[in-house]
Amino acid sequence: MRGKYLITIKNNVLRYQFEIRRNITIIRGDSATGKTTLIDMIREYYDNGEQSGIILQCKKTCVVLEGRQWKVLLENIHDSIIFIDEGNRFITTDEFSSAVKQSDNYYVIVTREGLPNLPYSTEEIYGIKNSGKYGILQQTYQEFYRIYGDVKNSIQFNPDIIIVEDSNAGYEFFENAAEDRVWETISAGGKSNIYKLLKKFDNKKILVIADGAAFGPEMDRVMKKINLSADKAIFLPESFEWLILKSDVIRDKALEEVLDNPGDYIESREYMSWERFFTALLVDKTKDTYLSYSKSKLNEAYKNKKIQQTILQEVPKQLL
Amino acid sequence: MLKIIFGNCENAIYNTSVYFKNTYQDEWITNGLSVEMIRDVDKSVVVGPHMIESPVLGAITPKELSGGVKTLILISKEKSKIFNASTCGDNCAKWLLKIGEMNDVIVNLRHIMDFGKGEFEIEVLNNHQIVRNMKELVDVAGAMI
Repeated sequence: MRGKYLITIKNNVLRYQFEIRRNITIIRGDSATGKTTLIDMIREYYDNGEQSGIILQCKKTCVVLEGRQWKVLLENIHDSIIFIDEGNRFITTDEFSSAVKQSDNYYVIVTREGLPNLPYSTEEIYGIKNSGKYGILQQTYQEFYRIYGDVKNSIQFNPDIIIVEDSNAGYEFFENAAEDRVWETISAGGKSNIYKLLKKFDNKKILVIADGAAFGPEMDRVMKKINLSADKAIFLPESFEWLILKSDVIRDKALEEVLDNPGDYIESREYMSWERFFTALLVDKTKDTYLSYSKSKLNEAYKNKKIQQTILQEVPKQLL
Repeated sequence: MLKIIFGNCENAIYNTSVYFKNTYQDEWITNGLSVEMIRDVDKSVVVGPHMIESPVLGAITPKELSGGVKTLILISKEKSKIFNASTCGDNCAKWLLKIGEMNDVIVNLRHIMDFGKGEFEIEVLNNHQIVRNMKELVDVAGAMI
């Protein structure tokens, strides 16, 4: 499946409206915000249609997945938006992760667990908030909000250390850029090591740069660590390759359209998370040019100072 | 004291809502602590053991309480069992601490709950370390989840 989908679901007392933008969406946040009630309404509408008294508007079928037979049920669900409430232990299994990877469905999962097997985006982690009564009806309007909004630093940060999730091209880029700056660049060698490095260099001023497109599972512990210290900051572009594509290094009208609406171009069955799409896109756009990109080793062209500065302009000024 | 097992815990009751639905007793709902927790977390008023007044849903039964409150009630009433407290949001944290002040209770957490800016006393059972604030908790628990 590709694209984004607006969902409106309502009964006599509640009205939810939200947009699903990627293959995996996580809902968490405080208790008593209506997460389970939302899942119950989806289930009741799926089972009884309009005879449930619920009105659901969405271009795709919305269905609830639960219970021990989840795998059998999932085999027969296609091109749908699947909702999973907390309490379903299968979401933590490798089997479920494999099923999501090969799936043409989108998934909305209620959980506070990290789910390290699922590479979901930091942008698609939501809470639900009550936005008051809707219109003249005694209907409460529930909407989603991003739990991790734009991470902003109001003062100039100037890190001692930049921890980069990448071990190859992304790491090389920031290490090379450091020649003119003062930071030390450390490769975490994977997102799960970033928390350990934050602990190891607890007394240093650290900027973490990670692939936001798949960093969702790490956000809970990493953001708690970062928020407890004024000396830690994080920058979460979709990926390093996205940063290059977004900069003016590659000028391509068609590329702008893709970057403005990536969800319209990224097939969930082909790309479990968006950073792989952006890598493939960058490789394709630079093929047979002097900027020919390889993730395993940074092309020398990206070490050119002018190109380097153009890419670094995509990093918020106050961070570097 | 509140004692926490972080990460996977095979003995813990994972789906606390199902367990609550099939085990709760009337007096659990009208008990003073439960009434306060329901009022604070769910913003709802206990009218009787079978009726709670919710500002959003109207009259509901205990089965429609939030997952967080159901888990808090289970933890306070079934002290010999370990429950998955990751079904509780951060707005349940102060109640977990309060239950821990009244009795020794063990819960399972699969995420890092925010226990606020104040001091507290929690034993992390994975390594039997006592933590007294969020900085200590994050440093200890972050490696376990």
